[in-house]
Amino acid sequence: MKPKIPAQSGTFESSDVIVLIEPLPNRSGRKIEISSTVMQQYGESFRHIVDGMLDQYEMTDIHLIAKDKGALEPTIKARLETAIKRSLGQQEGTLT
Amino acid sequence: MTFEDTDFRQETLDLNNPFDVKLVTGFLHELGFDFDPTDVESTMIVYNLKGELVGTGSHQGRILKYVAVSPKFRDTTAFALIVTYMTEKLLKIYKHTFVFTRPENAVRFRGLGFSEIASSPPLFTLLEFGFESIFTYQDYLKSVKQKTETTSIASIVVNCNPFTNGHLFLIEKAAAENELVYLFVVEEDLSAFPFRIRWELIEKGIAHLKNVMMVRGGMYIVSGAIFPAYFLKNETVSDVMEKQAELDVQIFAEYVVPVLGIKKRYIGTENYCATTAAYNKAMKKILPPSGVEVIESMRKVAISGSSILPDFISASKIRQAIKMDKLDDFQEFLPESTREFLYSDDSREIRNKIKQGEGRH
Repeated sequence: MKPKIPAQSGTFESSDVIVLIEPLPNRSGRKIEISSTVMQQYGESFRHIVDGMLDQYEMTDIHLIAKDKGALEPTIKARLETAIKRSLGQQEGTLT
Repeated sequence: MTFEDTDFRQETLDLNNPFDVKLVTGFLHELGFDFDPTDVESTMIVYNLKGELVGTGSHQGRILKYVAVSPKFRDTTAFALIVTYMTEKLLKIYKHTFVFTRPENAVRFRGLGFSEIASSPPLFTLLEFGFESIFTYQDYLKSVKQKTETTSIASIVVNCNPFTNGHLFLIEKAAAENELVYLFVVEEDLSAFPFRIRWELIEKGIAHLKNVMMVRGGMYIVSGAIFPAYFLKNETVSDVMEKQAELDVQIFAEYVVPVLGIKKRYIGTENYCATTAAYNKAMKKILPPSGVEVIESMRKVAISGSSILPDFISASKIRQAIKMDKLDDFQEFLPESTREFLYSDDSREIRNKIKQGEGRH
């Protein structure tokens, strides 16, 4: 699937992760930028979780930015899922 | 220590409502800011269940402003909450957001994931966050970079509001003296003539100069007009202007010059505008140490004219002439492309806007 609109989920808070998604032109594939305060120890696993979620939703032509402040795996997964669903227009954001 | 993070409530204020404005003005006043509601597009506040005001944030376009948290709540997540709220809103519209802050506060934004673009101590630091960054602009520069062996590469930055013979003169001079000239056109649309029109008039006007390459200014070339100075109320206007010019020139020297291999920058002497004069001063200070020679060229003088015709060609005089319906007296200022445009129906809307409008641009 392809993102329809730009979307954000999560927060800048500690123990959370902020996820941004924007659509890319057709056939651009995936552009993923991740950073984490615990990149040294958990960078690889973080990357793995991101790839896994994008695979699960078969996302393509997507630009994803994730800035992690030491979130746990379930948090990261939840934030990613929300951002993906918002970008697909399946779920509303918190702003009215 | 406050634990009740989840008790925070967020609300967008109605800036047309005097009670809302009073609320945020009073809050910010205690923290040392003078809130000006005409300075922002929208404002949000955070409060807790007891009704205490925790913090606030505003924005104008893509720039975050008046982000402040009451000292009592600084060890909570309020600051992150406010910035999250603002970016979520702005990144739906824009590709990235900017924030200007004092250098000692920059660390707070860096901690959230903002990247620092440039700093002009002791007054301010510029940071950005979003889908795009200054590296995206550098990628664009790489895509327009000309393959060449020569090191005779010059640059000019113009706004051209509108394009005049003075600009043409400066561009022709640079084109004659160098093998390659990059001509940056300021992209921000704060001028009477929109970017698309300014670009078109220049493009037509310099079609005969084969070694001039036009480049979009992006968000990073001359951002002076968007600069918020509200947090610098203790500094003099000229101090702020000088530092702001330095910040702009620093970005040019650090991010643009190395990508395109620029060796010279051509500028016109400034007789009229204090802002431009501050820029020229900043360029002479910052560019030479970065290996860029600054070449100041005397403004082109119109050959003849009526008694009211001032001698130096400048775009602001043309706007003045449009305002007073005296455009016919200024023929000598206008290159073919601009003249054609100004006397056509396409420019009616812009001319009317200038006639009604006031102010510098």
